[in-house]
Amino acid sequence: MFKVAVCFLVSALMVVTVRADEPVSQVRKSLVRITNTFVDPDYRVPWNGGAMNGALGTGFVISGSRIMTNAHVISNTRFLTAERENDPKKYVAHVEFVAHDCDLAVLKVDDANFFKGMVPLDFGPLPEIESAVSVFGYPIGGDRLSVTRGIVSRVDFQLYTHSGVDSHLAVQIDAAINPGNSGGPVLQNGNVVGVAFQGYSGDVAQNTGYMIPTPVIRRFLKDIEDGHYDRYMDLSMGTFNLQNPSQRAALGLPDDDTGVMVSDVQAGGVSQGQLEIGDVLLSIDGHAIESDGTVDLDGAQVLMSEIVERKFKNDLVKLGIQRAGQKKDVTIKLTEAWPYNLQASEYDHTPRYVLFGGLLFQPLSRDFMDAYQPDDLRLRYFYDFYINDQLYLDHPEIVVLSAILPDPINSYLGDYQNGILDEVNGTKIRTLKDAAAAFAKPADEYVIKLLGQGRPLVLEAAAIKAARDRILTRYHVPGEQNLGDDQ
Amino acid sequence: MMTRPLFTTLASLALLSAGATAKPPKKAATTPQPAPTPSVVTAVKDADSPLSIVRVEVTAQAWDFIHPWSKKAPESRSGMGAVLATGEVLVTGDLIANANYVEFERAETGERMAANVEVVDYESDLALLKPVDPAFLKKLQPLEIGDAKVGDRVDVLQLESTGAQVETAALVTTVAVVPYTTAGTPLLAYRLSSSLQYRDGSFTLPLLHDDKLAGLLMRYDPRSQTIDAIPAPVIRHFLAAAKKQPYVGFPRAGLSFAPLRDPQLRHYAGDNDSPASGGVYITAVEPGGPAEQAGIKQGDVLLSLGGNAVDADGNYRDPQYGKQAIQYLISMTTSGSSLPVKLLRAGQPVSVTMTVQHRSSEDYLVEPYLIDKAPKFYVLGGLVLQELSRQYLKEWGAGWEKKAPEKFVYLDRYQDDVSANGRKKIVFLSQVLPTPLTIGDDQLSGTTITKINDRPITCLADLPAALEHPINGFHKIEFAEAPHLLYLDAAQTQAIEPALMRNYGLPAIKSL
Repeated sequence: MFKVAVCFLVSALMVVTVRADEPVSQVRKSLVRITNTFVDPDYRVPWNGGAMNGALGTGFVISGSRIMTNAHVISNTRFLTAERENDPKKYVAHVEFVAHDCDLAVLKVDDANFFKGMVPLDFGPLPEIESAVSVFGYPIGGDRLSVTRGIVSRVDFQLYTHSGVDSHLAVQIDAAINPGNSGGPVLQNGNVVGVAFQGYSGDVAQNTGYMIPTPVIRRFLKDIEDGHYDRYMDLSMGTFNLQNPSQRAALGLPDDDTGVMVSDVQAGGVSQGQLEIGDVLLSIDGHAIESDGTVDLDGAQVLMSEIVERKFKNDLVKLGIQRAGQKKDVTIKLTEAWPYNLQASEYDHTPRYVLFGGLLFQPLSRDFMDAYQPDDLRLRYFYDFYINDQLYLDHPEIVVLSAILPDPINSYLGDYQNGILDEVNGTKIRTLKDAAAAFAKPADEYVIKLLGQGRPLVLEAAAIKAARDRILTRYHVPGEQNLGDDQ
Repeated sequence: MMTRPLFTTLASLALLSAGATAKPPKKAATTPQPAPTPSVVTAVKDADSPLSIVRVEVTAQAWDFIHPWSKKAPESRSGMGAVLATGEVLVTGDLIANANYVEFERAETGERMAANVEVVDYESDLALLKPVDPAFLKKLQPLEIGDAKVGDRVDVLQLESTGAQVETAALVTTVAVVPYTTAGTPLLAYRLSSSLQYRDGSFTLPLLHDDKLAGLLMRYDPRSQTIDAIPAPVIRHFLAAAKKQPYVGFPRAGLSFAPLRDPQLRHYAGDNDSPASGGVYITAVEPGGPAEQAGIKQGDVLLSLGGNAVDADGNYRDPQYGKQAIQYLISMTTSGSSLPVKLLRAGQPVSVTMTVQHRSSEDYLVEPYLIDKAPKFYVLGGLVLQELSRQYLKEWGAGWEKKAPEKFVYLDRYQDDVSANGRKKIVFLSQVLPTPLTIGDDQLSGTTITKINDRPITCLADLPAALEHPINGFHKIEFAEAPHLLYLDAAQTQAIEPALMRNYGLPAIKSL
């Protein structure tokens, strides 16, 4: 099996007149070919090991005898090798740091000989629009090094599809980027200006590839300096552009196209208690905010969130606000990254579950939805509106009765599949661990209440005890639960 | 957070189409499908013998819930009506839904006569029509109502274009409570197997058994050749109720239940008898509904209703139709009548009396159907405000449950679970008509309104009073979702109304 990170096929590019000032002989000394043997978790049979797969990607040597590549190249890895140009040896590598929210990773190779003669690449600036770049890597179409050239087409915020929920700055280029290019360097004037990472398949858009630009790369490298990746921080609030004259006048603003209104403050986020709906944000760290939510940053007009993007855990954000006509300053400390990430793809974890009386409980997640594709309206609503309707407050995890392994103990419960676990013996269930703890507590019977279901599922302890081994044996289940503690 | 969409938008407006002409027949859910059989025509009455049916030609025009100030294009439907001894003609509600004009045609002579709708009940899907001149029906042979049972052969009446009456045989295979087409009301239906040929005007076909009207065809699935028909008992109940003014629909108990076959659940509910002894587990009682008012509680075991023992699946033994769901028993009583109820609560017997009541569509938080009625709306400075109804969601066409905005579908389906917070209706912003006043707001849609000018909005009728109290010259509109807060200049909101009506072709700025 062969998996590719970048899922698209583009035919040969037209030749653009660009400066070809990256001598391939030099770049060869920095390039790494990465082979990842990984396992796709099986969310439908969560105790199974999952299907084994292989992936090929590109990486490059950076300072400190490290290899940089994409997170998606090395996700769910079980065995990782690195190869270099003109050396037949396969070196065993391992992941030192991975950032799934910005699709970057840093690898180490045990054998110090690997880095002998290798030249670490340096990072350059955000490239200018229309400037030429070259993409190096090992894409499909052959086994050896491939170079493609193109220009910078666009600099914009983009969804990073690896997590499926995070958006950061990304640079669109028209050089061919194909499966296998992932993790490879994009060079300009001998410096890395980006890491190739995603694109469209050829039937959607052509000559449209994306690279992760250096502001995102630099932020990642700085974040891991303390030996731990903390993830991106954000203000956990929403803003509403203030282009409407009535809205401006009612909020006491002059007609000067500045400021945005706070339209949402997520409970549980860092802005809770600091900002209120109806506050007007006038400046962020001294940068004036326009009425469309942009700020001037180093001469470029960028979204105000770009300021927060570049911050780290425990950094401060200074906001100039106007509340009820009064101007004031609010300083928000980015104490922790947003904790409720049910809608993001998970990697490097085996699926968590609890099996009780043949009832399989799993936390709702993006991977769960992909695996089961449930039609159940309540389940889809809880997934889609988990953040917007702040459902995470009562249910930080949505614990779902995802499947029933048929057994005499649960003969009458088939209709309750896809139910959301709310209570066990009177105890509210907020997480999968709560469920495991409630089921572990000795009782004569277990009264399981599902959200919106007036009929409890009742399992008698004696019946559970009698059914336990029978179910585990019959369905070949090695363990009754995986709470993710060992991950 | 930058990764979360601030607003939901109305997707795929272009897909909207809800022509009522071609109603796909709903497939029978669980019953086995009979093998296709050739059409068996049992009789052809020529045009000279007296008939018991008339053609009913209907011009209907439904309201457009996406543009609630206008109606959709008119459409024509035709069907059969059964002539009754009262000088009235019985048809399905579906046939005359949103009718602008109804006309009868005598099949034998081709004579035509305008008709009026006397009574219509979209829940039992029945309507009574009367010709403008009663003499029109004189030469026709009125039908009596007569029951059929499983195994009976009945005849489905159709008309040839020549005016001849064709009778096609159908076999009654099942008598059971099913959800009816328009409002999903659970009522008794005959399910019949018949190979029915498409003929001119196949809506509302009368079913005859022993020359009596046994039912009216409600839907036909040509693939499985299955007819669902409104049966004689439902017709009789409707006709009895139609004699009283105002018409009050079929009653309900306002409770839901789960089977009590699971021994572990039986023990939990305090019922230590075997499942064979019957009883169902009450899973919910509708707030303010008959069951709740009678003191029935979630967790009770319902043992008997109106003196009839209830089995573990929620059936009782009907003297005529055998094992039937208790919904049938309830629906056949009159709204306002009382039923003795026997319960088991924590193992102890409890007896209560329940007064069943009809619940009309208007009494729901999200109205299940809105037919013959103009949708309410208020266009405020360009913001189109409406009350959420299933009729609005149905504008997304077949499969609307998956195509319409998910949260609204959720609110409709689980409206009894949703905290109403004193709301009578869910007032929401359906779209924004761009005006100078709504610059920057035009992407908003699908947000629900909680307050205007600090006054709670429980239904659209609350708007005029709230709008009389602008705050510092602005209307302050609060939503349950982001952006939570929107302001409109009060003076401009009023000043812009003529231009708004002119530009967008609004006949009125509001309809409450």
